Amino acid sequence: MGRSYFVDEAVEEYLSGLQAAPGSCVTGLLAGQSSPQRDFVVLAVQTPHRESEGQPKASKGVGPLDDIDVEWVTEHAKQVSRMLPGGLSVLGLFLLTPPELSKDAQNALKRLIFAMEKYIIKGRLWELSEEDVTDRVTLHICSKTKKLVCKTFDVKDPKSSAKPADWKYQTGISSSWPMLTCSVEVDLQIPVTGSSSDNTDKCMKDGLRRWAKQIEAAYCLVNGRQALDDSELISGQKKNPKTTNRQTLPTRIFVSDVELDERSTALVQVCSGSMRVRGVVHCRAYIHNNKPKVRHAAQAIKRDLINTVCSRVEMFLEDLLINEGSQKGLCSEQQALPRRVFAPMSISGLSVCDYMFPDESTADVAERLKEMLDCETPEEDIDTSLESIFSAISGSEITDSHDDDSSKHVISEIQAENPIIQKAPQYYAGVAIAAAVALLATVTSLLYFN
Amino acid sequence: MVYSEECDFIFRLKGILEFACQLDNPNGAQSKCTISKSFQDLRSKVSSKNTVFTVCNSPVLIWPNTGFQSSVESLTEASACGDILQCIDSDDGGSKKSSKKKDKKKSGPTVVNMKLLFEVTEPAGNEAPSLIRVSTQQHCVKMPLPLDCALSVTTDERLATVCKGLVEALNKQLADMEEVVLQYRKGSSFLVPQPFHFQLPEPSGLITVVYPAGVPDSQLQAVREDLHRKFELPCDRPYLRRANAFHFPDAAYKDGYLRNPHIHLNPPNIEDAKLYLVQGVYSYHHYMQDHVDDNGWGCAYRSLQTICSWFQQQGYVETAVPTHKQIQQALVDVGDKEPRFVGSRQWIGSIEVQAVLNQLLGVTSKIMFVSQGSELATKGRELANHFQTEGTPVMIGGGVLAHTILGVAWSENSGQIRFLILDPHYTGGEDLQTVTDKGWCGWKGPEFWDQNAYYNLCLPQRPKTI
Repeated sequence: MGRSYFVDEAVEEYLSGLQAAPGSCVTGLLAGQSSPQRDFVVLAVQTPHRESEGQPKASKGVGPLDDIDVEWVTEHAKQVSRMLPGGLSVLGLFLLTPPELSKDAQNALKRLIFAMEKYIIKGRLWELSEEDVTDRVTLHICSKTKKLVCKTFDVKDPKSSAKPADWKYQTGISSSWPMLTCSVEVDLQIPVTGSSSDNTDKCMKDGLRRWAKQIEAAYCLVNGRQALDDSELISGQKKNPKTTNRQTLPTRIFVSDVELDERSTALVQVCSGSMRVRGVVHCRAYIHNNKPKVRHAAQAIKRDLINTVCSRVEMFLEDLLINEGSQKGLCSEQQALPRRVFAPMSISGLSVCDYMFPDESTADVAERLKEMLDCETPEEDIDTSLESIFSAISGSEITDSHDDDSSKHVISEIQAENPIIQKAPQYYAGVAIAAAVALLATVTSLLYFN
Repeated sequence: MVYSEECDFIFRLKGILEFACQLDNPNGAQSKCTISKSFQDLRSKVSSKNTVFTVCNSPVLIWPNTGFQSSVESLTEASACGDILQCIDSDDGGSKKSSKKKDKKKSGPTVVNMKLLFEVTEPAGNEAPSLIRVSTQQHCVKMPLPLDCALSVTTDERLATVCKGLVEALNKQLADMEEVVLQYRKGSSFLVPQPFHFQLPEPSGLITVVYPAGVPDSQLQAVREDLHRKFELPCDRPYLRRANAFHFPDAAYKDGYLRNPHIHLNPPNIEDAKLYLVQGVYSYHHYMQDHVDDNGWGCAYRSLQTICSWFQQQGYVETAVPTHKQIQQALVDVGDKEPRFVGSRQWIGSIEVQAVLNQLLGVTSKIMFVSQGSELATKGRELANHFQTEGTPVMIGGGVLAHTILGVAWSENSGQIRFLILDPHYTGGEDLQTVTDKGWCGWKGPEFWDQNAYYNLCLPQRPKTI
């Protein structure tokens, strides 16, 4: 008895529209949500064309299947994973081949799926639970007959063999999936021991891991319900196919500090510095509407929270490495992490997200969405309002928890200065108008009284 | 254990709050200010709108600092705190409701356990995160503070008031912890401040004291003296040692021994008799416990163990209850027995019990000699006095048996007397029902004693210390 994949018709359209040069293959990702009973696929994206710099790579093997750039496919999978909100993930791969390569396609798919899974989970800070589905889907499409062969592999077991699975098309799979949202205040103080850049990365990872454990253990209220036992998320709702409204479920998260071991003394480390990640992140997760449980919904939004903080820090540090070479990072400064923006996926209406560096614009985001998700998004549809840009006022010191006796580190403090800065021109405009009115009144009264 | 007659509930709030600060120079003058500032920040945190209490085993979440909000509609600002019980899943089969026939005594106040949480959602602003890097050499101090506040209240007290009281208690506890941390800090070495609850005689009631972890009671004498003065406690018996900490009614004893089985008994029905009972807490030690088969020879050893458990739980000693071998070794050490005594099955008597109490616990005892069992009926006054002043369990040996006397019911007028006996000859398991039903702990009349045998009683004396 294999798994059943319920696939949105938009995916069918996309797959049948794929074009391949004669004799060559097309690879791509399939994304959606898995639940213990069934799986849902809502997105298919072909692997973007890789700009090869310098000499084209010599053909390694005997055919196009061997030429598949595994590294590139997995990198694409990782980038796409970052763009999917909670509850959604890369569920598998598709491979379009000409008929003569069909029989070797399964092997290629198996290689790819294991490589992809291994790469995606690197650096992930939350653990899979027993209820998580570890089957990933591979879809082979024959370019001539358009025949689909759908199989799954259990990526937990490297020796697992392909199991047959069902592939069924349906309309509006995700149209009434509830969306969970919350904004979370993050304030992580991470000590840095040692001075090399490797240390900084490791300290950051350790700090984030501790925080992630705290989030995983946190209490969660989804739409006012706690994730206790097996209670259902949406009870008492009649399944009405006519209602395609997507419910938005506000979520609240409560943490407690965790005592990892019984200590009688404080933990004191001599540090060469510290890092602080501070600000508000906006989280979003979707949950299928086939009798979902509160605890699965809670898990989805918590994982989204952990992922979003982790992704931005990763992206920032990667960017730092590229731009600054080695980590000159040990200087006193405050830098903005990329902020999260959301855009709707064309037909399903689900959002995807991206991260905007301070020097980027929505045009850059639109370009990335086109490249990574093969989807055209008008710039005005990109929602940048959920997280606002911080602006630093330099000169003031952060006095919390630091010895004040030295002014050698001047650190700018985050302030919610945006509204104040925006007020300034309005204030002056107001003054100008008031002055004009006063002048007019004076002139009028002079004229009147004369 | 004396409960305040009026209080029906104890609300207990526990939670870990991480204390963190960075010190440039741990020995510098500034470090004290930095530490105090961190504690001030923690006090602000618990008074903020993000503080949330959750009631264990229930879906209830309470926001105490926003004019009382709760996640359960039935609990509002006006709710009495007793209403909270309806929301709690008690997993002990509702035994609070069903009353066992013997268990007529009030089982004490109901404990409502709560946990301290902080909300991270619903933030004030929405500025995207930034990364702040500081590159000064510093000492990063992190310490989990084990917050534990308890409030005794009556059923009709409003839940909102209780929660406000708990927030105040948190603030006070953080202030106490700050004092302890600063007092015992040496440079960058910090001791974790630990809260202990004590049930003091009225009017003080349930109080909480913060002690530094790792500092033994013997070094905290001056602290206790101050507190004894402050709470007007007698200066000759311990109330505030860690071992005296209040045992919450819903907590099981980890070692599995029964505590004070006698409180579940009905007193004997004698006209104008007064009860003179053991004071405080002891554990019931008897045959076959701890995988030691001492059936037939170990009764005096078990009685001695019961007495040792009393001294340990009242805070006079920190040593564990001695094993048979350790008792025997103590007697060898004082020269009372030959070395081959250790490991043997030889009986001991009151004199040996007195010697061991002195050797291992530093406790002196009085010996009372009774030439005939029938004479015990006339010892009412002396035993009554003993239980009133010392209140320690009494070991009695004679005939071929040893027992523990936990109290007497004695009428000064008629001279009628009953003895509350704890019998070490019981070979069963730690089942309170059996122990009380079958009289292994029970009231006996003067005919219980062998009327012709002579008896020695060992009456341990409390050391005069706090």
